Amino acid sequence: MIRDGTLAKKPITIFEKIEESLERLNQKMEVIIEIQKKGNDSQKSVLTLPDASLDVMTLLSMPDHLRKTAMAICRCERATAEDIAEQTSRARAVESAYLNQLVIMGYLKKERKGRKAYFYVDRETQG
Amino acid sequence: MSAMSRIIAVHSYKGGTGKTLLSVNLAAAFAKFGLKVAVFDLDFRAPSLFAILKAENPEYYVNDYLNDSCDAKQVLVDLSSRIAGNGKFYAGLANPATEAIRDMSSKDRKWEMRALGKLLALKKTLLEDQKFDYLIFDTSPGLQYSSINAIVAADFVVVATTGDRSDVDGTKRMLQELYNLFDKKTGLVLNKVLDLSATAKKAEMGNKIKTVYRVPMLGIVPCFCEILRAEGNLIFVEDKPDHPFTKIIAEMARKIENNEVNDGNSIFVEDKLIIPSQR
Repeated sequence: MIRDGTLAKKPITIFEKIEESLERLNQKMEVIIEIQKKGNDSQKSVLTLPDASLDVMTLLSMPDHLRKTAMAICRCERATAEDIAEQTSRARAVESAYLNQLVIMGYLKKERKGRKAYFYVDRETQG
Repeated sequence: MSAMSRIIAVHSYKGGTGKTLLSVNLAAAFAKFGLKVAVFDLDFRAPSLFAILKAENPEYYVNDYLNDSCDAKQVLVDLSSRIAGNGKFYAGLANPATEAIRDMSSKDRKWEMRALGKLLALKKTLLEDQKFDYLIFDTSPGLQYSSINAIVAADFVVVATTGDRSDVDGTKRMLQELYNLFDKKTGLVLNKVLDLSATAKKAEMGNKIKTVYRVPMLGIVPCFCEILRAEGNLIFVEDKPDHPFTKIIAEMARKIENNEVNDGNSIFVEDKLIIPSQR
C-alpha cells in the first residue's frame, strides 16, 4: 500500500512542477508583452527606477491602468494576482502582468510560496 | 459593512473652509448616535484640534505614531465624557510644537510612503480590532503629502468649500482630477453660505453644486454668526443641540451612516446638460 501510494504521488508532483514552470513562464511572457505594448517608455522606466517608493505622488503620476493595481495592492499587506483581480474586477492575467511590471519598476516586491506568487509593498527597506 | 465609508477624510483646496469644525462636529454627531469614533488631526503644518478640543499635552501625538514611536491606540485621547450618551469619542492630535512642524515638513518620499502604510493599517488596528465605527481625518488644505495620504487611506472624502472665487476653481480641479484618479467617493459641503433662508436659494445652491462641481452634495451650511462668536470654544453638536448647524451636521452624519450620499444626487449619472439655475 505504501509503495502504491508513493508511486501514485510521483506523477502528481511532476505535473505540479510542470504547472509551476508553465505558470512562471506565463508570467514572464505577460511582462514581456506588457513592456512591448507600452513601448519604449516603460522600458526606460524599468531601467531608471530600480528601487522607487510607492508614495502617493508616485501613484498620482502613474498611468491609470497601473494606478488601479497599485492602489489595490496598497490596501493589502500582501496579495496574489487573484486577490487584486477580485478588487479591480479585471482579469487575473491582466493583474499579474501589471503587478509584475510594478515589480520591475521597483515599486513592489514579489515572493513565491509554493505555487503562489505574493506581491507586497516593501515599506521597510525600500526607498 | 465593507461597502460603508468608515474612514472619512475631510479636505479642502483652500484653508479656512471649515474642515476642523466639520470634522469635530461630524465625529461628535456619530458619537451621539452611540457610535465609537476617533477624529485625527492630520494637519501637521498647522495643528489645531488640540486647541478646539482643549486637550493639550497628550502622551503621544499622531506624529509619534507615524514616526513609529508608539502604536495607534496610544495616540488616542478619550474625550467620551464630553459627549452625552453611550457613544465613544476619541481624538488623535498633531504636535503643535514648532520643532515638530519643521520635522514633519522635511520628510522624504520613503517616509511618506510608510506614513500611508500606517494610515492604511488603522483599518485593521482601530476599525477591526478596537471596533471603532468611524475614523475622521482632518487634513491640511491643498495638494500635499499628508493630505493626499489621508485621502488615499480614506473610504470617503468630505470636501469643504466656500463660494469664494479663490476656492471654487481649485476645488473643481481637485474634484475632477485628484479624487477621481484615486476613485474616491466624494461628498461636497458648501460652507458659510449667506442668505440661505429662502427655499429657492437652497435649490439654486443645490443645482450650482451639481453643475459646477459635478459631485454629490453632502450638505449646505449657512454662515452662522454664532459659530464665529463661539471662537472655537464650543462643539456645537454637543453644546448647542438645538442649533440649526447641529441639525445640518446630524443630517450629514445620517447620510454617511446610511450610505445615502450617492443616492440620486450623483451628477455622474445625470445629463450633463442640466440647466444651471437661471437668474
